[in-house]
Amino acid sequence: MRIEFDVQARCRDRPEGGILQAKLAVMPSDEDARDVARAADGDQAAFERLYRRHVGRVASLARWLGDSADVDDAVQEIFLRVWQKLHTFAGQAAFSTWLHRVAVNLLVRRRERIGIRQRRESREEAPLLAAPAPRERPDLRIAIERAVERLPAGARDVFVLHDMEGYKHEEIGRMLGVDPGTSRSQLHRARLLLREQLTA
Amino acid sequence: MPHRDEFTDQLSAYVDHELGPAERGRLEEHVGGCAECRAVLADLRAIVAAAPLYEGTPPATDLWPALAARLGEAQVVALPTRTAATPRGVRRFSLPELVAASLVTAALGAGGAWLALRPEPAASPTLVTTTAPAPSAPSFEPERALTVSIPDADYDAAVADLEQVLVAGRSRLDTATVRVIDESLARIDTAIEDARSAIQRDPANAYLTRQITANMRRKLNLLRTAARAIAEL
Repeated sequence: MRIEFDVQARCRDRPEGGILQAKLAVMPSDEDARDVARAADGDQAAFERLYRRHVGRVASLARWLGDSADVDDAVQEIFLRVWQKLHTFAGQAAFSTWLHRVAVNLLVRRRERIGIRQRRESREEAPLLAAPAPRERPDLRIAIERAVERLPAGARDVFVLHDMEGYKHEEIGRMLGVDPGTSRSQLHRARLLLREQLTA
Repeated sequence: MPHRDEFTDQLSAYVDHELGPAERGRLEEHVGGCAECRAVLADLRAIVAAAPLYEGTPPATDLWPALAARLGEAQVVALPTRTAATPRGVRRFSLPELVAASLVTAALGAGGAWLALRPEPAASPTLVTTTAPAPSAPSFEPERALTVSIPDADYDAAVADLEQVLVAGRSRLDTATVRVIDESLARIDTAIEDARSAIQRDPANAYLTRQITANMRRKLNLLRTAARAIAEL
């Protein structure tokens, strides 16, 4: 399996090489491209392979951006939509990029449709103890995934959309109905809260 | 240098390259002498670098069986209607039998070469890129404008061969199978014809081009599946 990097969507507007390189996501693009073509022809086996390769990230997105009580419904709706729209996928970006765009759009619309539930805004304050700094943690990627779930909703939304999915503050503002400045401040808050959690 | 929170508050913007030259210079001067800010900056950079690499956690239960059951009910092919100005009016049909049959993809002689050499519809590499304006009618995401250059001769020959096999052997198939095949072929032919008519009015429409290619491929797959079934009887 050849590994390719999805540069286009994930590193927009981030000119610094080190961070840009580090933000690259590893994607099985070749396998995806083959299976997308087959699935667009109605090949369910190919679509199942796409589903299984991507369901983890999509489910996490649904967990973070949607209602944790109906993640399964959201995931099914997302992949059903993808199945229906596969013929519109132009192949100009990685399939994963396109999939995540579909997922985020659908999750945001679901929130609007069902009403954004009152999510917990409080969290347990994590004391700053003598723990490894985030940069020293080999399991940082996994630790972040877990810590994101404990972020306040507003900060989590922005962190997921900006740092995990590569959206700009202006796009996030439009999606969430907030000012881009609010998005920036929520992002900073989210990062500092994550740092606290990761060092606790 | 004593730590100051005002600089900490700028660290995210610094990481994202959103500070102006003056602010950036002031911050860098401070960070150079503030161990606490340097530690926060390093941690923020680590978090920002790791965040997009998340692997995700699949649902607790396998959703595929339920999802697969719904796929057959979903739209398999959507083509613009003959009125290009009404892109939301789409011709819908579901072909669960065809989809199931298409899973059998053993290579038969007739059509195999065409399928093997045929570009995948998503990439459409045989299409000629032009500077024509992007299609305006379909309500899909903007994409490159393309014109069509589909070599139909090989395809037509492959289809003709397989249709002969089908005609000769259809009496050996059960009635229900024959009906499914005939209905599916009729739908595919209609879809191809619709798309071809539409593309004559809108030659730069890449969406229509992909639909033609996809449906041609679908027809060939179906014929090959039917021919194989006959051959195995």
